Amino acid sequence: MNPIIWLIPVLPLLSFVLLLLFGRRVKEASAVVGSLLTLGSLILSVVVFMGQWGGASVKQTVEWLAIGDTVLTVGYEINPLNALMLVIVSFVSFLIQVYSKGYMHDDDRFPVFFAYLGLFTFAMLGLVISPNLLQLYIFWELVGVGSFLLIGYYFYKSEAREAAKKAFIMTRIGDVGLFIGMILLFWQVGSFELDAIFDAVTTGDISQGWITLTAILIFVGAIGKSGQFPLHTWLPDAMEGPTPVSALIHAATMVAAGVYLVAAMFPLFEASEAALTTVAVVGGFTAIFAATIGLAQADIKRVLAYSTVSQLGYMMLALGSSGYVAGIFHLTTHAFFKALLFLAAGSVIHAVHTQNIHEMGGLWKKMKWTAPLFLIGAMAISGVPLLSGFFSKDEILAATYADGRFGLFWIAVIATFLTAFYMFRLFFLVFTGESQGKVKKVQESPGVMVFPMVVLGILAVIAGYINTPVAPILDDYLAQNSYLEIHHHESYWWIPIVATVVSLFGIFMAWLVYAKKKVKRLSEASPDFHFILLNKYFIDETYDYSFVKGTRGFSYFWYYIDRFVVEGVIQLVTGAVGWISKISSKAHNGQVQLYGSVAFAGMAVLLLIVAWLGGYLT
Amino acid sequence: MDSILLSALVFSPIVGILVLLFVPKAEKAAIKGVGFLATLLPLALAFIVYFGFDNTKETLQFIEQHKWINFNLQSLQNGGDFTVSYELGVNGLTVLLLLLTALVSTLAAAASVWIKDQTKGYFMLFLLLEIGMLGVFASQNLLLFFIFFEITLIPTFFLIGKWGYLDKEKAAYSFLIYNGLGSAILLIVFIILYMKTGTMNYTGLSAFLSQSPEMLERMYIGDNFRLGLLIALLVALGVKLPIVPLHSWMLQVHVQAPPSIVMIHSGILLKIGAYGLYQFGLGFFPGEFEKIAFWIALLGVINLLYGAFIAFVQIDFKKVLAYSSVSHMGIVLIGLGSLTDAGVQGAMFQIISHGLISALLFFLIGLMYQRTGTSLITHLGGISRVMPITAGFLLAGGLASLGLPGMSGFVSEFMTFLGLFKVMPALAAIGTLGIILTAVYMLRAVLTITFGETIEPLTTIKEARFVEWIPALVLTLLIVLIGVYPAVLSDMLQLTINAMMAGRGAVV
Repeated sequence: MNPIIWLIPVLPLLSFVLLLLFGRRVKEASAVVGSLLTLGSLILSVVVFMGQWGGASVKQTVEWLAIGDTVLTVGYEINPLNALMLVIVSFVSFLIQVYSKGYMHDDDRFPVFFAYLGLFTFAMLGLVISPNLLQLYIFWELVGVGSFLLIGYYFYKSEAREAAKKAFIMTRIGDVGLFIGMILLFWQVGSFELDAIFDAVTTGDISQGWITLTAILIFVGAIGKSGQFPLHTWLPDAMEGPTPVSALIHAATMVAAGVYLVAAMFPLFEASEAALTTVAVVGGFTAIFAATIGLAQADIKRVLAYSTVSQLGYMMLALGSSGYVAGIFHLTTHAFFKALLFLAAGSVIHAVHTQNIHEMGGLWKKMKWTAPLFLIGAMAISGVPLLSGFFSKDEILAATYADGRFGLFWIAVIATFLTAFYMFRLFFLVFTGESQGKVKKVQESPGVMVFPMVVLGILAVIAGYINTPVAPILDDYLAQNSYLEIHHHESYWWIPIVATVVSLFGIFMAWLVYAKKKVKRLSEASPDFHFILLNKYFIDETYDYSFVKGTRGFSYFWYYIDRFVVEGVIQLVTGAVGWISKISSKAHNGQVQLYGSVAFAGMAVLLLIVAWLGGYLT
Repeated sequence: MDSILLSALVFSPIVGILVLLFVPKAEKAAIKGVGFLATLLPLALAFIVYFGFDNTKETLQFIEQHKWINFNLQSLQNGGDFTVSYELGVNGLTVLLLLLTALVSTLAAAASVWIKDQTKGYFMLFLLLEIGMLGVFASQNLLLFFIFFEITLIPTFFLIGKWGYLDKEKAAYSFLIYNGLGSAILLIVFIILYMKTGTMNYTGLSAFLSQSPEMLERMYIGDNFRLGLLIALLVALGVKLPIVPLHSWMLQVHVQAPPSIVMIHSGILLKIGAYGLYQFGLGFFPGEFEKIAFWIALLGVINLLYGAFIAFVQIDFKKVLAYSSVSHMGIVLIGLGSLTDAGVQGAMFQIISHGLISALLFFLIGLMYQRTGTSLITHLGGISRVMPITAGFLLAGGLASLGLPGMSGFVSEFMTFLGLFKVMPALAAIGTLGIILTAVYMLRAVLTITFGETIEPLTTIKEARFVEWIPALVLTLLIVLIGVYPAVLSDMLQLTINAMMAGRGAVV
């Protein structure tokens, strides 16, 4: 076992345990403990990542559980994909912990917050290095718990409680898909090991039908975790958690785990055209669906949350279109610019104490650091040329087009317009114009919060250069995976131009509507449509009236059956016992005649039985 | 070589009973102290058995055998001498069950500090109950099993009826009638087996009943006869487990008995049903078990979903947990019904895991009831603020119960479903609905209690002291230990299960 590798997840676990035990005593120093241990993970991750350039995959396992003749193992595996993920996760996690030191400073459960962050980071890193599906599932669920605890961090708010519960249950619905898929694969392949599964796929040991079925079941898990339609409703509600949590878990890392899962299982998906199409269609639909909802929301974090859902849809679309590198590439750039946007939003919330964008405005001059950094993030996600999002989004569009999914391609292009529009709607409403409402004294956030944003801001600008058409570094790096065949599609010169024009048009429209106020807002132009969007297509309500109420009704039905029918039987039984004892106690009335007749009757019955049995009692 | 270790273990609680005889009734603190200390002796002996057990051998260990009863029945066809021996012995499974029993008893004795009246009688019955439970698992012979089984019933009846809550008498009578009926059926099956085979020893019976069907037919133990016996066993032990619809009595017990007794009841007593199904059902009638395996698995899935659905709409946390026990015992049935190595091992894991988890949760109920005087989830909102540590344990217990990986519940759930998917994938797929529902009802109950605004009368409640957490801490650590390193159990269970599954053409 190589300590450099296994220490990566263990250090944050150590932080969790230490802070849980001693957090109350060290108080403010919790942030230092948490950050330093995560920094340790980051350094080790970078070392491991460096080793993957041209290096071979590393795998180590130990026995975990024996069942009959089967031995299940746990361990780690490092390949190009998960080495990259290790760096992203530990890096963002580290920055978020630094930021949280400022953001959470007056919270009285400060150490608990950092303990939970440690638990989450541990689980996420453990997930990434899992060499088999079972271990992946274990960490997959633990990541969910980390998310659950942090969403419910403000436990005394009933909204936080409901959001935490919803997040856990909605993702668990997806997890059951993964659970079934994993077990079915096991019985087809005889192993949970990823390489064994891929070998079986390559050699044709699994039939096409099983591949499709298991791939789609695994994708159901990804739908839950990555907030894809129709299991997306928990993610916007998850914004009840503290903003750094939204940035780390619900933007950069955990929600990307679904995308990672599909990427890690890509050889399986690639073997089934139907599975790929499912992924692409769900992704493409989610991308545009969530983007439209983002147009109408008033809560700054919710807009960003729908934007995350939409961007994750893009990544799924890429993977479903065989754009393996495009999906991972966008995952990487998105982690930076979306974390940046959330941190900037957190900084704004920290300053103005509201999340309603209609109560903000005119913050450009008051927040010298936050405002330009938010602008950078908005430009990156909108696909403004030469920023990171521009390159990764073009990759996705090109992959979709090259794969012949023209319908999805145009949907993605329209979603690009919507993305640019809602992001700059946010920007203009928050940072330009006059300050609205109660917002009075506004202060820029402290350095400990600004520093992580600056780092992310730089990355949001430059991260795209790891995979430009001229220098496809990421392409070559990820292509080292022996189970993968990276598709090199031809480049279309017109796609970047179309994408750029569309997104600039989106920004221009947002400027017209929200800065110049020359064009009517959607709420005025089409109140009905706006109402539908504001209410998120009434999906929550639909679920509430169908599944939630349905389950409750069904439960009550069985509860009453239990109380009146089954419990009725118990009354009958106890009643019968009482009745028999009453009868027999009546028989003991001291009259010899009765005793005699009972004795005779008994004798007669016994004789009858003996006669019937032919003279034997057995 | 005859050791008397097992006899010493089984009867060791007598020491406590004897000492208690000499403690005056009024000395409540002394009685509680003695009662608690008395459970440490069996715990220590159980550890000795555990560490002395050689898990590389599949034979029974620490065997004790003495001639006990001898009688002559010339009139019967089989004729001749009948001998019943006093036989004790342990295999990998029963070692773990003995340890679980001793451990939960000790922790329940600690939770018995909340008992206020007539502590002397309480602890004497409590220790008698422990003898019964230990005896049930150490017995290697049907008569002995039955006697110990009955020994558990009587103290439980009084412990519920005397020290329980409002409707305690009614609950105690339901308990007695249902379990009495179950015992009656069990006794009939045992006597028939004895009359037909002339032995009451488990190993002897298994060997006798594994003769060829023709041989057995000639001895009037035909296929249908054996099937009948198995079904009778299923009913008798199904009361204990409990299998829906034989569960009503245990709901009342869960609600009405004092928390310390529910820890024992839910943690150990229910497991006797599961253990019996495994040891007698699967052990004596493997062929017939296979014939009705589908129905057993189906009953398991029904238990799982029935309990889960109803738990979702309960407002008393005790009832949530009672239905949750119904649901979780379904997993045991599913595992046994799958008849795969994975499934059976999962069922054994579930027996132990659920024992620990339900003991933990009921301990916490006792802790909260002590301070708040209620177990209604609607009256317990937001205790996280006033009792953060208790709330933390409750959350951990809830997560363990809903099968969170890293805790023991997941391992058993995973293995049983792994087994069931192999043989009955469609049924298993329906069963996975239970995984979602468990999360739904558990989180609803636990989060309503812990999260949210603290309800007015609860704002002045004091957090428990450190000594009061110790039982919760011990249980939580064990739950996590099994979840993280399940080999700690599977190393003990492997050979026992292999021996049981051997020659049955078992699949993984």
